[in-house]
Amino acid sequence: MSFWGAIVGGFVGTLVLTTGLRAGSEFGLTRMDLPFLLGTAFSGDRTRAKAIGYGLHFVAGQAFAAMYYGVFVVIGESGWLLGGTFGLIHALFAGTALVSVLLPVVHPRMGSTQSAANSRPLLEPPGFMMLNYGPSTPAVTVITHVIYGAIVGGFISLSG
Amino acid sequence: MSAATTSAATDPFSGTGREYQPLRSYAAIGDGRTVALVARDGSIDWLCIPDLDSPSLFGAILDSTQGGRFELCPEIPFTVERRYLPDTNVLETTFVTDRGSVRVTDAMTLPAGLAPGRELVRVIEGLSGLVPLRWSVEPRFAYGFSPGRLETRLGFLVALAGSDAVAVCSWSAGEPTCNRGRVNARIEAAEGTRAQIALSISHQEPLVFPARHEVDQRLENTIAYWKGWASSRTYDGPWREAVIRSALGLKLLVFAPSGAIAAAATTSLPEQLGGERNWDYRYSWVRDSAFTLDAFLRLGCPYEAEAFFWWLMQASQLKHPRLQVLYRLGGGSSAPERILDLDGYRGSKPVRVGNAAAGQSQLDVYGDLFQTAWLFASARNGLDQDIARRLAEIADFICTIWREQDSGIWEVRSEPVHFIHSKMMCWVALDRAAKLARAGLVPDRHRKLWEREAKAVQTYVEANGWSEAKQSYVRSAGSRELDASLLMAVLLGYDDRGGHRLRATVRAIRKELGKGPLLYRYTGEDGLSGGEGFFLTCSFWLVDALARLGQLDEAAETMDTLVALANDVGLYAEEVEPETGEFLGNFPQGLVHLALINAAASFSEQQRQ
Repeated sequence: MSFWGAIVGGFVGTLVLTTGLRAGSEFGLTRMDLPFLLGTAFSGDRTRAKAIGYGLHFVAGQAFAAMYYGVFVVIGESGWLLGGTFGLIHALFAGTALVSVLLPVVHPRMGSTQSAANSRPLLEPPGFMMLNYGPSTPAVTVITHVIYGAIVGGFISLSG
Repeated sequence: MSAATTSAATDPFSGTGREYQPLRSYAAIGDGRTVALVARDGSIDWLCIPDLDSPSLFGAILDSTQGGRFELCPEIPFTVERRYLPDTNVLETTFVTDRGSVRVTDAMTLPAGLAPGRELVRVIEGLSGLVPLRWSVEPRFAYGFSPGRLETRLGFLVALAGSDAVAVCSWSAGEPTCNRGRVNARIEAAEGTRAQIALSISHQEPLVFPARHEVDQRLENTIAYWKGWASSRTYDGPWREAVIRSALGLKLLVFAPSGAIAAAATTSLPEQLGGERNWDYRYSWVRDSAFTLDAFLRLGCPYEAEAFFWWLMQASQLKHPRLQVLYRLGGGSSAPERILDLDGYRGSKPVRVGNAAAGQSQLDVYGDLFQTAWLFASARNGLDQDIARRLAEIADFICTIWREQDSGIWEVRSEPVHFIHSKMMCWVALDRAAKLARAGLVPDRHRKLWEREAKAVQTYVEANGWSEAKQSYVRSAGSRELDASLLMAVLLGYDDRGGHRLRATVRAIRKELGKGPLLYRYTGEDGLSGGEGFFLTCSFWLVDALARLGQLDEAAETMDTLVALANDVGLYAEEVEPETGEFLGNFPQGLVHLALINAAASFSEQQRQ
């Protein structure tokens, strides 16, 4: 296991994850667009927000890969199967807490369950398991994150 | 302020036999997430928690026995005077009795600090004499199908069911006791005394028990917020009071977490007493979008306009380029319809939640979307690139589907036909798409195709949608029935190649569908039994159309009559019963208030010209 494996795995994994989510959107499975959600925290211009969001998403992908690496080191084991399991946990955490609860709380342009008449959100909140973005969103989220985790785990394992 | 004699209701502690209140007797209070309906007798008969489209906590308006309510009224005969505090959504009801008078102020407070998830506040102030009052909270979760249980927590009575909890907090409002699933208390309101009752509502989180001074502070802040919001509205034309009340009513229907606007705050209030025309309106219709954006912009509400447009474009992304008729307030596309085993308002069954119209094909929504985009782009002088790309793709899609049959703007449940209004709206869509392209706001690669197809739609409408015998455009191709939705052709600038056909259509609709200022929507088959009342939106469209055609005197006269039809606090339901003038349909009805605002604004603009 090496940290470089995590860096490369994080990059490739995020690339595949982003492509998978985008494909899910094009096929009408989900309206979730993580780069857009992240970028609009910094810009109200949709185009600029997406550009910023893609950058942030890749940074987040690297950060999560580093976390995976840390856990692999602690337990002394790695691999694509274990990485895929981490990806599943990662997806469930994202769907139930990270994007569903935490992001609306800190995002300046996103509504939350506490938004009332005296607030001015522009983005609809994701809801539990991000179901507001389409009924297939949980499935797309889980599948893409499992693939991301497997790639990260695989690269770390192969990096010696 | 208005007054009317009311007897004390039947014993609210008995729990049965209470009559349904006329729909006209309700006022709405809300916080941008949910809405409560308060009857003239002080009973809150409708409240969904945590959100407008969630199951009800108080649903007595749909089932007076099982639904649950929050009653508060004198124990002796009383008369009622009622108003909204000026320029607010805070309701003030004054009960006048032989022994004195008492004022109740009702509000859903806006959050500040560590506030309850949702908070319903009722403040009781003795104005004169000594008035015996009683209040009773009867929580019935999940549309009345989950009575929940009552427990005491930190000295407050709390109703619990699943992940929902409601704490009944009161100060100087008697000694609350529990009886058969209700919290009851009696109070003697003496001159100069003040009591508060607050329902602290939580959903999937711990309850917050508010302090008395915090409740007062939030109520003050709420009043100040509404006054500030109303004073920021820029409309200064005729019927301003009705326009501002409509704006405040619409603001209650704006679902703050997403920016969507609900068609109404209720489900299944009947379009015919005892009939089956009972629908769930707690969704956002694309049909209303152009009117919504137009009204927001004319009122000087840029934030609400932007939030709504963002929401609409996000919600419609999933099935792009095909549009759904309606979306959930959170942006979801699924609205499965089911029937609840409730009595229904005055026995009007079925009580439906969900709306099967979500699955219908309605071609008119494309015109609404493009008119919305045109208004938004004109106001902002631009569109974001990805929205512009999507609009161009939708315009291409319209070119392939406008020849299809559809269910039309009124969502008939009979077989699809070629509705002329739908075709006209396809023309509006393609016309606006071409205009956006010419202005460089959407890609113009297919502009010539859109222009060509718009002409083809127009040729179809003129050949198949005009009746020489009726001297009017008609409801569907080849029919001789009229439809008040055709008034929208005037409002949205449909080109009738000369102007006389639209003018004649307005005359024909007034003659055939009208009675004074009131209009029926249409004649003919719609796949449902029974009839319905006069459709108020169409009457305001008539005012708008008359104003745009330069018939200002007729428009003003009609508008005066319609404004007088509002209830005592300036709100409207969807329809008016032809014989009695009673309200019918869901309440308060967003489209009626949108149409009122736009009619007044159009009149004002024409008057200035």
